[in-house]
Amino acid sequence: MPKIEVDKSAFYRYLGITADEEKLKEMFPTAKAELDGVDEEKNILKIELNDTNRPDLWSAPGLARQLRIHETGIIPEYPFFSAAEQKLDAEDRTVTVDPGLIHIRPFITAFAVTGKPLDDPGLKEIIQIQEKICWNFGQKRKSIAMGVYRSDLIQYPVRYTAADPDAVKFVPLDFKRELSLREINSIHPKGKDYGHIVADFPAFPFLTDSNGDVLSYPPVINSARIGAVEIGDEQLFIELTGTDIYSLTLATSIIACDLSDMGYTILPVKVEYPYDTPFGREVVTPYYFQEEMETELSYIRRQLGIDITAADAADLLRRMGIGAEANGEGVRIQPPVYRNDFLHPADIVEDIMISRGMDSFEPEMPKDFTLGRLTRETEFGRKVKDIMVGLGFQEMIYNYLGSKRDFLDRMGLTEEDGNGIIQVANPMTENFEFVRSSILPQLLYSESVSGNAVYPHKSFEAGKIAYPDENDNYGSVTKNYLGFLHSDNGADFNVVSGYVSAVMFYLSREYSLEELDDPRFIPGRGASVLYNGNIVGILGEVHPQVLENWGIQMPATVCELDLDALLTKEG
Amino acid sequence: MSIEVKNLHPLEIKVLLNVEEGEEIDYGLLAERLQFKVGQCNQAFSWLTAKSLIQDIRHIEKRSYELTELGKLYQREGTPEERILKFVVQKGAAAIPEISSSLELENKDTGSAFGSLSKEKVLAMNADKEVTALQDSPSPRMNTIRTLLDRAQAKDGTLEESELSEEEIAAISTISKKRGAGGTPFKLIEGEEIVYSFTKEGIQAKQDLQEAGITGEEVGTLTSEMLADGSWRGRQFRAYNVNSPANRTLLGRKNPYTEFLESVKDKLVSLGFEEFDGPLVETEFWNSDALFMPQFHSARDIHDVYQIKDPTHAKEIEQPYLDQVASAHENGWNTGSRGWQYDFDRDFTRRLILRSQGTVLSAKQLPKAAIPGKYFGIVRCFRYDQVDATHLSDFYQTEGIVLGEEVNLRTLLGLLKMFAEEVAGAEDVMYVPGYFPFTEPSVEVHIKHPELGWFELGGSGIFRPEVTEPLGIDVPVLAWGLGIDRMALMSLGLNDLRELFSPDIENIRLRRREA
Repeated sequence: MPKIEVDKSAFYRYLGITADEEKLKEMFPTAKAELDGVDEEKNILKIELNDTNRPDLWSAPGLARQLRIHETGIIPEYPFFSAAEQKLDAEDRTVTVDPGLIHIRPFITAFAVTGKPLDDPGLKEIIQIQEKICWNFGQKRKSIAMGVYRSDLIQYPVRYTAADPDAVKFVPLDFKRELSLREINSIHPKGKDYGHIVADFPAFPFLTDSNGDVLSYPPVINSARIGAVEIGDEQLFIELTGTDIYSLTLATSIIACDLSDMGYTILPVKVEYPYDTPFGREVVTPYYFQEEMETELSYIRRQLGIDITAADAADLLRRMGIGAEANGEGVRIQPPVYRNDFLHPADIVEDIMISRGMDSFEPEMPKDFTLGRLTRETEFGRKVKDIMVGLGFQEMIYNYLGSKRDFLDRMGLTEEDGNGIIQVANPMTENFEFVRSSILPQLLYSESVSGNAVYPHKSFEAGKIAYPDENDNYGSVTKNYLGFLHSDNGADFNVVSGYVSAVMFYLSREYSLEELDDPRFIPGRGASVLYNGNIVGILGEVHPQVLENWGIQMPATVCELDLDALLTKEG
Repeated sequence: MSIEVKNLHPLEIKVLLNVEEGEEIDYGLLAERLQFKVGQCNQAFSWLTAKSLIQDIRHIEKRSYELTELGKLYQREGTPEERILKFVVQKGAAAIPEISSSLELENKDTGSAFGSLSKEKVLAMNADKEVTALQDSPSPRMNTIRTLLDRAQAKDGTLEESELSEEEIAAISTISKKRGAGGTPFKLIEGEEIVYSFTKEGIQAKQDLQEAGITGEEVGTLTSEMLADGSWRGRQFRAYNVNSPANRTLLGRKNPYTEFLESVKDKLVSLGFEEFDGPLVETEFWNSDALFMPQFHSARDIHDVYQIKDPTHAKEIEQPYLDQVASAHENGWNTGSRGWQYDFDRDFTRRLILRSQGTVLSAKQLPKAAIPGKYFGIVRCFRYDQVDATHLSDFYQTEGIVLGEEVNLRTLLGLLKMFAEEVAGAEDVMYVPGYFPFTEPSVEVHIKHPELGWFELGGSGIFRPEVTEPLGIDVPVLAWGLGIDRMALMSLGLNDLRELFSPDIENIRLRRREA
C-alpha cells in the first residue's frame, strides 16, 4: 500500500479549508487514507493510502483535492484536457514517434508546464508523484516511466525513437562522460535498476529534440543537460512512456491535475504515431478517454440496503467529484479526469456509500437461518486431541515451513529414497524453504531446545502436512496428521506401542503392526501401523544417530498417524 | 522461633524424646540408643540444626578406613599373601613365575608378598630357587589383616580408627592410602565429627512433644497391607505440614493458542457458520485470479507469494470457471463490468504457490455453496515476509462468507457488529471505508477492545460481481476476514507473534490463557 510524506503547510494550502490533524483524521476515510504519523520537526505528515486503484490520491494535491471536494461540494475544472471529439491546440509542441517502437515501448504522452518558478516543496512533490505513480501504479517503471525536462532548452518537435543501444551515446544525469545506452545499463545506478526493462530488445527507446539534443533514455535515465531540472526553472516539459495506453494516459492526467492544483499552468502536447492506437494516430495529451457509466437505482438500493432517490444518489456522487445526474430510475456518471476505476456499477455504489458516510447506515443482523458446523476432519481431530491430552501429552503448534536440514538431513532421510518434500522456488531464507511432510522433525526440534524441561516429555501436534503426489492435479496433497513424542529414561517401544493401542482403542479402529526398516528408528524397534490394509502411520524408538543429529541426550519414541486415513470407516 | 512439633519428622522426634538436656549428641550415641545408621544421623542433625533445636558444641578429628574395590576382592578371595601361602602348602614348592601365572598375579606382587612372608619366616627360597612353606599357618600380621578385612566388610565397608587396637592401626596403615588408594585394600578418610547438644528451643520442643503425646511411632504412609490386616487400628497418624512446597505435576493439555483458535471456531459455529478447509498448495487461479485481482496489478504486490519449485504448474483449472474468470478479467464476461482489459495469462494462472490468503477458500466455496449460506475457515497462510515480532512466514487467517438474497451493506455492518461483540467482546464499533481488490464496497471494522483499546478487527465487503458470477453465484456475497492474532497474544500474555508457535516445551507447559 502506497505511503506518502507531505509538507504540512503545503497540504493545508492545497486543502484550501481550515483544518488540523484531528479534522484530517475525520476527513481521511473519504479517501481511504490513514494518518500514520506527524514529524513536527520536519513539518511532515505521513499518510498511508489503502486504495491501490486510486493513484490520483497518492500525492498531497490529489489527496487534498478529494477531501476538499467532499467538504465543499465544489468540483474543480481542468481546462487543458483534450478528448476524442475536442482536441486543443498544442501549437508547436509536438512529439513524433518512430515506427520501430511499436513492439518495444509503443506509447508516449506529454505536456508542458509554465506559470511560476519551481520551488523546493514543488520539486519534492513532483519527485514523490513520479515515484509513487511509476513504482506502484507503473509496475516499477515497466508499464509507466516519467521524465521531467527544461523545456526552454528543447527545440520541438521532440523525437521518440528506437535507437541502436551501442551506437547512441550521451552524458546521463550524475555523470560527466558519454555512455552508450548499453553501457548505461551496466554502469549507471539507474541502468542497473531499470535497464532490464528494455535490455532484451534490439533497439532501445530514446528521446531527443529536433536538433538531436538528448532528453533521455526512457525508462532509465535523463540526460545531464536538458534532463537536469533545478529549483527556479520556469519552463518544464514532462513526458511519460509505457506499454499500456490507458494506464499511461491516466497517469498523465493525474500528474497534470496535481501540477495544476499546485498553481502551474499546463500546456497540451500533440503526439503523432505512425501506427494505430486506441485513441487514433494523433493524440493531444492530457487526454480524457474515460467512458460514461450508468446504473439502475434498484441495484444501488439492493447493494446498500437503503431507500434512495436517483437525485440523492447523483448528489452524493458529485460530492465525490464525479459528474453524475439522475436519469429516470437510474444514475449516469462521468468519471473525473483523474480516475478510471469504474469497472462495474458496484464501483459507483461504493462512492455513494463513502459520500453518504458510514454512520448513516443502520447495521442490521442477517436474518437467514443457517446451520453451523465444523468439518468432519476438525471434529475427528478434536477427538484425537482429547485422547492425547488424556494420555498426558502436551499439545504443541508449529510453523509449517522449515529447512531441508531439519526436515530431512537431521532425520537421517534423503530425498532420493522417496522421501519427497515440497520445496519453495523463491524462499526468503533456507530456514523457510520446505513445507513439512511430517510432524516428527518439529517434535524432535522441540526436544533439542527443551533439555532443561522436567522429564518425562510427552508432546504432540495434530496439524497439516503436505507431500508431492504426481497423480494429483496440484502435484501434491495436504493431510491432517497426528504426531507425538515421548522422551524419558525408559521411553521404549513397549510404551509408545501402548499409546498407539490406547489411541486406536478409543477411536474404535482395529489395526496391526508390521516391522519397519526406517533410518529414523533403531533397527528392529520401528513399525508401520496398518489399518484397512493400508499403512496409516509409523512408530518406533528414535535412532541414537538421529538423536545425536539433533543434539538430544535423552531417549525418545515417536509415532505419526494419518488422521484422514483413520477417519475413513473400515470396509 | 516456635516450632509446630506435630510436623517434625519421626527421626527428629526420636532424637528429641530419647536424649536428655545437657547430653552430648553424636553418631555413637544415636547408633547405640536409637540404632540409627549414619545416613539417618546425618538427616536428623541437618534438620534439627536447621530448626535451631540442636547446636554444635565441639568438633572431633576422626579417621576411618574404607574398603576399596581391591579390598573387597581380598576379603572375598584372599590377599596375595594368603593365596601364595595356600598354593605352596597345597601344591608344594614352586618358582615365583609359576606361582604368578597360576594365581594370575604379577611377578612383582608375588615377589613383594614373598619378601614380607620370608621375613616373617613363613616362606623361604630353596636351592632350586623355588618357594617353600616353612609353616602351614599365616603370620600374626596376616591374621590381623584378615580380621580387619572381615570386620570392615561386616560394617558396610568402613572401620573407625577409634574402634581399632594399636596393633590393628599399625597393620592397616601399611595397607591404606589417603589418595590413589586403588592399589591398596583400604582408603584412609580424614574427617571430623561434630558433637551437638540441645538448644533452649530443643528442650522446649521436647517438652511440647511429651505434652502432645507424640512418640515418633505415628504412621506415615497408609499402606494397603495396613488396611488388609487392620493394623492401622489404634495407631496415630503423623500430621504433615500442609504448607510444604507442592510436587511438580506434569499433565496433558491442549496448547493455549489452539484453544483460543478453537474457541473462535466454536463461536462462529454458534453463529450459524459452516467450516471450510483446503490444501496448502494452491494455484494463482484460486489465490488471486478468481478474486478478480488483475495479473498485472500492484495489488498483487501485497500478496507476494511463495512459488512451488516442482511441479511449477497445476495440470488443469476447473471448467467452466477458468473460461468465465478469464473472460471476467479480459472484458467483464457477462457481469456488466468492462473487466481489466488485458490478455489473461492461462499459463500463469496454473502456477502453483503456497496459499497466501484465506479468501482463496471463500472463493473455492462459492461453486458449492448453499443459498442462503454462511461459511468460515481458520486456515494457515504463507507470506513472503521477513520473520519478526509482527510478521510470520506462515500464520492463521480467519475468513468467511455470507450468501443470500437479502444480503447488503447494512447486513454486512450488522455481521461486523456481531463479530465485534461476540468474538472480540468489543465495547464500541466504528466502520471505515476500506479497499480490497475483490470486494466493492469494502469496509474495515475498528473496535474498542476493553484492554487493547481501538484497533482494526477486520476487513470485509461485498464480493465484486466479477468474483461471484463467474463462479456461478448470482446473489450478493458478504466476504469478511478477522485479525484475531492481537487478541490471541493478549489472551496469552504475549507480544511477539513468533511465540504463538514456540517449540519450547517448558514455555508451553507454563503458558496460560486468561480464564
